[in-house]
Amino acid sequence: MNEVLFETKGVGKTYGSNTVLHDIDMQIHSGEVIGLIGENGAGKSTLMKMISGVDTPSMGEMFYMGKPYVATSIINANHQGIGMVFQEQSLVANLTISQNIYLGREKKYSKAGLVNWAKMNKDAKKALERVDLSVDPGKKVRDIDMATREMVEIAKVLDVVTEVADGHAIILLDEPTTVLSDDEIQQMYVQIQKMKEAGNGIVFISHHLDEILAITDTIYVFKDGEETAVFPTAEANLDVLYEKMVGRSTTGEFYVENKQTVHSDKIALEVEDLSLFGTFNHVSFKLHEGEVLGLAGLDGSGTEEVCACLVGQAAPTAGKIFVDGQEMKFTNSYQARRNGILSVPKDRRDEGMIGILSIEDNITISSWEHLKSNGLLSGKKIRSTAEKWIKEAAIKCTGPKARIAQLSGGNAQKVIFARALESNCKVLILNHPTRGVDVGAKQEIYRLVREMTEAGHAIIVIGDTLDECLGLASNVIIFRDGLISGSFDCPVSGKPSQQEVVHFMM
Amino acid sequence: MKSKKFSLSDLSQYMVIISVVLVFLVFTVLNPSFVSAYSLQNLMVEISPLILLACGLSFIIFTGGIDLGAGAMVSATCVISGLYVSQFGNGIIPIMLVIGAVLGLLNGCIVAKLKIPSFIVTLCTQNLWAFIALTLCPNGSVAVDLSFRKEIGWMTSKLAGIPIIFFFALVSIAVLFIFQQYTSSGRAIFAVGANIRATRLAGIDTDKVQIMAFVVSGACSALAGALYAYKQKSAVPTIGDALTLSAIASIALGGTSMAGGRGSVLRTAIGVVTITAITSGLNMMGIDPLWKNIIIGVILIVAVYLNSDTKGRDIIVK
Repeated sequence: MNEVLFETKGVGKTYGSNTVLHDIDMQIHSGEVIGLIGENGAGKSTLMKMISGVDTPSMGEMFYMGKPYVATSIINANHQGIGMVFQEQSLVANLTISQNIYLGREKKYSKAGLVNWAKMNKDAKKALERVDLSVDPGKKVRDIDMATREMVEIAKVLDVVTEVADGHAIILLDEPTTVLSDDEIQQMYVQIQKMKEAGNGIVFISHHLDEILAITDTIYVFKDGEETAVFPTAEANLDVLYEKMVGRSTTGEFYVENKQTVHSDKIALEVEDLSLFGTFNHVSFKLHEGEVLGLAGLDGSGTEEVCACLVGQAAPTAGKIFVDGQEMKFTNSYQARRNGILSVPKDRRDEGMIGILSIEDNITISSWEHLKSNGLLSGKKIRSTAEKWIKEAAIKCTGPKARIAQLSGGNAQKVIFARALESNCKVLILNHPTRGVDVGAKQEIYRLVREMTEAGHAIIVIGDTLDECLGLASNVIIFRDGLISGSFDCPVSGKPSQQEVVHFMM
Repeated sequence: MKSKKFSLSDLSQYMVIISVVLVFLVFTVLNPSFVSAYSLQNLMVEISPLILLACGLSFIIFTGGIDLGAGAMVSATCVISGLYVSQFGNGIIPIMLVIGAVLGLLNGCIVAKLKIPSFIVTLCTQNLWAFIALTLCPNGSVAVDLSFRKEIGWMTSKLAGIPIIFFFALVSIAVLFIFQQYTSSGRAIFAVGANIRATRLAGIDTDKVQIMAFVVSGACSALAGALYAYKQKSAVPTIGDALTLSAIASIALGGTSMAGGRGSVLRTAIGVVTITAITSGLNMMGIDPLWKNIIIGVILIVAVYLNSDTKGRDIIVK
């Protein structure tokens, strides 16, 4: 193995009496890609924050290039040669790409207070070329797609850290692939490979274990703030990883298929020849009570827009929606909810969580009408409802009064699910229900989905992966370019293979 | 640096209690008659209309909006009350409630339906309220007719040593607190301020909620206007000029975030006590009243700085 670039010895972090990270020993070698895995809340991000200078360890020591390492801020860490690409993108949408890359470092390009933009753009172009991006650095970030933004972010961090530490920099990537398509992920791999060959040390966090297996050299597994396993990637396989992360191995049981229900004949929702000009056309389907209907399709195939129409977020240009046999027109989600349709949105942070409110408010917001006594909201009922769901969905929190923003992604998602379940809505639309959620929380969520159907709910799922969509669904319809291109029955005994379905997607 | 930030954010939580105690302590030391029965009664009369105004305005701020015309609305409604109380008697109070609700409805509909930021909308509509006040009272204050003084005197008379107007304020606080805590509209107001998009997708009629906040605030402002008319026994077209500042300062001092999503009318009420105690304390010490608004302005800036500290930190960490 090459020289050790970075090392942590017995590093830990406590908040008050709560220990979130304990006794972490990690060595990052030159030219090594480390995969860091663990459920949400296992302490991965906490460790990254300490290395990248966002936070300081409560115990233990860190060494960089053999010397004790202390970072007081992100910028300070950057100047030493350590940079992080954050889970939530940190680019400023209103600024150009080059302004973003040199944000805080404009001094280099300014003379007498005036910035030489041309020179900055030229250097930015070079920085972008390092990650094989040919986009114009004068473009505003808001005008480029998410995948390009991700690469710009990497270009930025790479530029900062290699300026001072070329060949021995540490680059931390916190779930960089979340917003990327398969092709884009392959390109990401190429970039990681390049950074690695230059001798840098890389830490790669992802919930997608296949990515971890594909790109890393060494895997560290965290569980509940402790390091439970370290092994070379060559010796790892999916089953071992699952086992080390959650202490249980996942098989066909993963989607709780034994609890998949055969739906009743009662139609909960019917869509007839629905169209939204420019996005989808002639969409018709029936959704029964107890059914999980999967909508499969590539990004932009129209699945999400269909769902937007069903909850009043978009107005269809033609066609009809029937709920319990009655035709409905929704102008907002309030009307949709009052008629029994509610969605679990895709973007948890912006569309799901009401961040600074309490967990109990977040759980009960869609059902306040039912939690009254004498015409006024009952604090007691709200509290007991929240406590019921915290127990039922195993939400890890300090109590119903805690802010939802303090929860890890998986636990926050369970809160949003509890909201949907408590709402009494018959039809629930789950848009990427397990996006950015760890394996353990995924299983909890699948279990909740099964409970929903047992209780007679009718569910539409846009899966985070095709595998998930097929695993959960009892019927699946496939979209291609805004039209329904095919459909499959998905009984427990005879689920279609992904290959069969993909055939209709492209 | 970091530990200092923590203490600052802790401070903003208790700022309202600390400051009210501090203010009373300081002024009592400087001038022992500050806590005499007479001056406390005065203080109660002084704070009551402002409590209504500021507590009502709090709801708009909970949604993340603002009403820059709150003071102008008080002027307009004070003038209407003062001029027409001789015609409608005490019936003017419910009438003002309705008028205020309608004015608020106008603001709310423009904000929610046309999706225009509330500071723009209220910056514009406040001129309408000022117009009403100044057209009805072009030559300055008009006193309520002498023969009618008796009928409106009850408001400032005392029950068990406490001015009736203060009971008015207490009841309003109670009603608004129940609205805030125990109605779905009230709770949804905070949700809208915290994340309007998520709230909408959770199936809440966010337009209605936003409008509701303006209606409540409008009704409270109008009631405050009526109380000022009763208190001053005149229609005063300039009464509200400095009140927007005092009301917003009280809200901020109470620890309510200007970004919306958190706060409480109870905190606002204590904020009003603090602000009013400061101004009347300065009065008693014979400080030039011209300083009043400058001092309140400084308090507002400091209070907002302390409140926003934690928020800023959140964003940086994530």
